[in-house]
Amino acid sequence: MRLQLEPAKPASALRDILHTAALALLLVPGAAKAADTDPTDRIDFTTLLYGEQSRTQIFEPVVRFTHLMSDGQWVSGQLGIDVITGSSPTGALPSGIVQTRTSASGRTITSPAGQIPMAPFKDRRVSLDGQWQRPWGRLVSSTLGGHFSREKDYQSFGVDGKFSTDLMHRLLNITIGGGVSRDSVFPVGGTPAGLSAGTIIHTGSNAKNVSNVLLGASRILSRVWMVSVNGTRTFESGYLTEPYKLITVENRVTGAPVSSLTDKRPSTRDRSSVLLSSVYHLTDDVVYTSYRYYWDTWNVRSHTIDLKYRRVLDADTYVEPLLRYYQQSSASFYTVGLIQGAPLPEYGTSDYRLGKLRTITVGGTFGFRAGDVPGSFTVRGQYMRQAGDGSPPNAIGIQRNFDLSPSISIFSAVVGYTFDY
Amino acid sequence: MIRTARQIGRAMAGLILLLLAGCATVQPWDRDILAEKKMSFNPSPMLQAIDDHIYFSKEASMGGIDAGGGGCGCN
Amino acid sequence: MIDREKLHDLMPLRRVFFLVLFLIGSSQSLFAARARDHAIAPDFTLPTTSVPFSLADYRGKVVLVDFWASWCIPCRQSFPWMGSMIERYSAQGLVIVAINLDKKREAADEFLQTFHPPFIVAFDPAGKTAEAFHVDAMPSSFIVSRTGAIVYSHQGFERAKANTVEDQIKEALSR
Repeated sequence: MRLQLEPAKPASALRDILHTAALALLLVPGAAKAADTDPTDRIDFTTLLYGEQSRTQIFEPVVRFTHLMSDGQWVSGQLGIDVITGSSPTGALPSGIVQTRTSASGRTITSPAGQIPMAPFKDRRVSLDGQWQRPWGRLVSSTLGGHFSREKDYQSFGVDGKFSTDLMHRLLNITIGGGVSRDSVFPVGGTPAGLSAGTIIHTGSNAKNVSNVLLGASRILSRVWMVSVNGTRTFESGYLTEPYKLITVENRVTGAPVSSLTDKRPSTRDRSSVLLSSVYHLTDDVVYTSYRYYWDTWNVRSHTIDLKYRRVLDADTYVEPLLRYYQQSSASFYTVGLIQGAPLPEYGTSDYRLGKLRTITVGGTFGFRAGDVPGSFTVRGQYMRQAGDGSPPNAIGIQRNFDLSPSISIFSAVVGYTFDY
Repeated sequence: MIRTARQIGRAMAGLILLLLAGCATVQPWDRDILAEKKMSFNPSPMLQAIDDHIYFSKEASMGGIDAGGGGCGCN
Repeated sequence: MIDREKLHDLMPLRRVFFLVLFLIGSSQSLFAARARDHAIAPDFTLPTTSVPFSLADYRGKVVLVDFWASWCIPCRQSFPWMGSMIERYSAQGLVIVAINLDKKREAADEFLQTFHPPFIVAFDPAGKTAEAFHVDAMPSSFIVSRTGAIVYSHQGFERAKANTVEDQIKEALSR
């Protein structure tokens, strides 16, 4: 389902066929050989530039090749590289004085007074992914895929499959699919025991298994309107803890940090989501709306609303502003800190991403062709603002003076280029 | 948990029923607009994949048109 | 991996799925109407690039009635094939009329400039003919016998299946 990128030239049959295959809703996916002059290959190139204010920076180029075969099958392969630098919050609480601690990898980390402690990191991730889609007659198609990715302390290998069929005179499309992934986590400096002072229990890798199923239905409601419902369920088991995150143990009266303990999360997590989407065509413009409800066995619940408006300027050019709102409740074992002397909970994390959180994203995409240059371009800019609960009711002592979850501003830019040949 | 799942399952069943029951019909030759590339739930899959990756690493949720989102140590 | 208990959690989704299958199964019959093979083809008169085309004028010929639109991809692929059919069989009495169903004539004209079809192209922006033939997919083609009966119909276009249609044309021409 990743095959269409650009508004393309009216004469591009490849684009049309890929579109059909991807949409699997309207026309005939069992398309035969295109006219001899029509392109059969496509190259997609995108580059992401991502920056969090004084935190993480990411540079991620991705290239994808797609080949369309004469009987309507297509195969694609993708290579991506992420280069990540910067720092992320350790999860520990700020204190009135400068904090110094030694990271798992042996580096000394200093955190200024009153600010949340951060840990620097640097990583490179390489990912490979392939897909093969084949039509089975006019109404049915199957897609098989596989991926492999590796970074300094994480590896993922997985396969997935999908089966899609058009029904009710192609007014309805049903998709069922699933996938499994075998991941390994091998923390730098070894795996620390959960909720410990950082005692390394082993230096090998930890298994993490992920499997998921999806069921989707999309329906044409009118000449200009279609809607869909998608349900997904994901089962994770194994090592789901963040080895580098910390929880502060604080003085029960003053709230001053006394020590810190490692993160510890349950070894299973079942995640579910239901997504409702609508695509509505005005005179030329298109309105995309979606709502997602998500829930999991860690007790996180979230709502996501996504709005996009594509203003079509001409056959090759569009401007598409976007707005996204996201809100989540905290995981049941999330805590801002642990109190010195109190019994330890079974699980605990201070990772802000498992706390109460809100994200607002605004941005816009510009799609165009550049004169006689073949292919089409996309440029997108986005601004994200994330805010947690900076003054939770259970903050004690000096912690009430600090912003425990400072808002984060994130900028991202994506440049995309698609070329059929 | 299981109860919530059942409720959601039922809600989904209801929605799918609604989708099926809608007597709206669009003749095959009237699908010119629907055949346009922009008339897709995911017209820019590569941009969408980048977004999913960003949100997966910054938030606790996952799931959408494709169930994917994993495959990285970013969360 | 999915263990038993998790499968149990999946039950609602599964139930929804079977419900959907059931509903689809039972609703298919509601949509089964299609121009029946061996029924008399509905007559029509439509404008073309030259003189209007009336099906009734072609009794005694075998007519391939094809429905297409410029935005339909397989239609694009069927044009060269139809071209070769008319070249091969017009002497034996084959006539092809490709009925365009685009709302806007410009879209059809642009398409025709690329293909220059050697057969008749008629225009029906309102889709009345398509309705009369109960067209169920784009493209759709119908073989109308020398006596005016629909002897074969085909939905979509696939190179691999084109030979079957050609056999049917030959069969109709031999009668």
